[in-house]
Amino acid sequence: MTLFAGVDIGSTTAKCVLLEDGTIVGKSLAPVGVELIKDAERSLEQALTDAGRERRDVTVITGTGYGRFKVTFGQYTVTEIGCHARGAHFLFPATRVVLDIGGQDTKAIKVDAKGEVVDFAMNDKCAAGTGRFLDVCAGALGYDVSEIGTLSLGARHPVKVTNTCTVFAESEVASYVARGKDPKDILAGLYGGIVSRSLSLLQRVGVEPEVTFTGGVSKNEGMVRALGHRLGLPVNVSPLSQYVGAIGAALHGVERSRGVSA
Amino acid sequence: MGGSTDETRFLTTARDRQREMVEEYYRGLSQAGGPKKPVAYMLVGGNLTEIVRSFGFEVVFPEIVALNCAIKHVSLQNILHAESEGYGLDVCGYVKNDLGLQELGGDTPFGRIPPPDLLVCSFSGCYVYVKWWEALAEKFGCPLFMLDVPYLRDATPQGEDIAYIVAQLNEFIALLEKITGRSLDRAELERTLERARRAEEGWVKYLSSGQRRPSPIEAYFEAVFYMFPINVLRGTEAAAEFYTIVNAEVEERVKSGTYPVPEEKFRLVVEGIPPYPSYRTFWDFFRKWGAVSVAATYPKVGGLFDRGFLHDPARPLESIAEYSLGAYVNQSWPLRRKIIEDYVRDFAADAVVIHGIKSCRSFTAGQGDLRDRLIHDLGIPALYIESDHEDPRYFAPAQIKNRMDAFFESLDRRRESVPLPMVTG
Repeated sequence: MTLFAGVDIGSTTAKCVLLEDGTIVGKSLAPVGVELIKDAERSLEQALTDAGRERRDVTVITGTGYGRFKVTFGQYTVTEIGCHARGAHFLFPATRVVLDIGGQDTKAIKVDAKGEVVDFAMNDKCAAGTGRFLDVCAGALGYDVSEIGTLSLGARHPVKVTNTCTVFAESEVASYVARGKDPKDILAGLYGGIVSRSLSLLQRVGVEPEVTFTGGVSKNEGMVRALGHRLGLPVNVSPLSQYVGAIGAALHGVERSRGVSA
Repeated sequence: MGGSTDETRFLTTARDRQREMVEEYYRGLSQAGGPKKPVAYMLVGGNLTEIVRSFGFEVVFPEIVALNCAIKHVSLQNILHAESEGYGLDVCGYVKNDLGLQELGGDTPFGRIPPPDLLVCSFSGCYVYVKWWEALAEKFGCPLFMLDVPYLRDATPQGEDIAYIVAQLNEFIALLEKITGRSLDRAELERTLERARRAEEGWVKYLSSGQRRPSPIEAYFEAVFYMFPINVLRGTEAAAEFYTIVNAEVEERVKSGTYPVPEEKFRLVVEGIPPYPSYRTFWDFFRKWGAVSVAATYPKVGGLFDRGFLHDPARPLESIAEYSLGAYVNQSWPLRRKIIEDYVRDFAADAVVIHGIKSCRSFTAGQGDLRDRLIHDLGIPALYIESDHEDPRYFAPAQIKNRMDAFFESLDRRRESVPLPMVTG
């Protein structure tokens, strides 16, 4: 009984991380469907398989993400805002600002030296600038979202994507395609648009180094570069960036098991 | 975390009496053949209710009708009707509810709202409101009086502003004398103001109870119910008596240990109009965390009586002018900010929650700056969330709850000062 599990049920994927003595020993990531309880259970089972461990080895399970209340087999729930703050601090201890872009929302989180949330701002009722937005626009360009990460790096004349609505942006991308614009330039324009939206959230909480970029969209290299360029700061990105919420949840479980209420 | 409160224990005598008063009021308005008195429509902020009552008018506040429609879940049908008439998505929900309701015949679950005999636009700080009253005047063809109230620039109203409003009040009285064919009964106005003053004193006493620990009152969600007499019935004996009942109940609560939540965990100052279509849901988001509003700005939109102003029967018109100038919505942002900062200090609050209104830029503009000042300049935790006071389409429960949970989580952890576990990457 030495494992602490963090289960992050997001809008598009379920992530699970297993922590033992402060080290990640297992993880899993899979798309979510409509049966979130089963998705959450599967995510834990897959992480246990990855770690070569069994369910009885798990001490505390903490749920996070929009579907955190579906982690019905866990002991605690914590919002993804608190978990991303804690997870980012775990991976990059000098983090003061976290930008998390997930499937359907974007969060800017200010954290203190201990990884506690000081302030946060989130996108409001619109998925523009999120993972879903990139999915749709990649589709309009004839690509899968997994293929576009480095494509924009060769852009020469980025276009300007003016729309702040996913649906209208898709039409705008289609019109650039019809006008024969290079997909690299269109993508660079899209990333510029997403970064602008993110900057408005970041400025609301106040930008200061170090900035850590988390969530599925942080796996897109073009986005990471566009963000760093606009901020004029290096941006931390971990290979585990999609797991940051789950890591934070597992850490909350560690703290609570010590009898500290949260 | 505290569980949900036993509302039937918490809200008893006073809440029952308030319900009765609301029912009596709407019953009076909707009686067969219309109300016995002529009807004046007025806005809550800076209203001239004592003057029109002294001329024998009944008063209807379409903003309050709109919030009653929203809390009864019928605002959307009125809003949709107004939109079908051409009012845009971003137009104020109060306005669309009222204009849609009027076009649909004025029937509500709480009675029929009679058409106006007189329109008094008592707050000119919102241009949309001015246009709203003009639209009503066009529809009903009744007299429209516009009171031009300059924005309050300093904490104390300036002499020239008071004189400017008093001059308009004299014009207003002349209009009322012409419409009714009777002269102003100055003695009756003074008696009305005296009753108003007693209600104001009782209301202030109730609001100050939030300074106690734990707070025996909910200064936002509960106070919104208790706003009705001070806003709608001010100047009547019933309103003055109501606050005696309320304050007696507050003392009973303290004696019996009956509080808004079983365990007061967070003391809040709340700014902004509530999301009336989801009132209970929104309140539950606070209760779940043991969070209690100890002071709030919105219940004072009908008058900042707790900031030192009370109607003065000895100076009737000057006093009404000062009241109109001092309406919360008429205050400059530095003054509004100061009120909130004072509440945080005087009521020993832990944080500020701001609820912005999508369809009201007049009230909401500046709330983002307020949030930034509280957090960055004063180190006071603050949360800004947004939906609408009338339109249920803007209330996204999962998103709002998520933000509130994250906010209370961070307050909780800050208080506990939780040490980090020793971990390695």
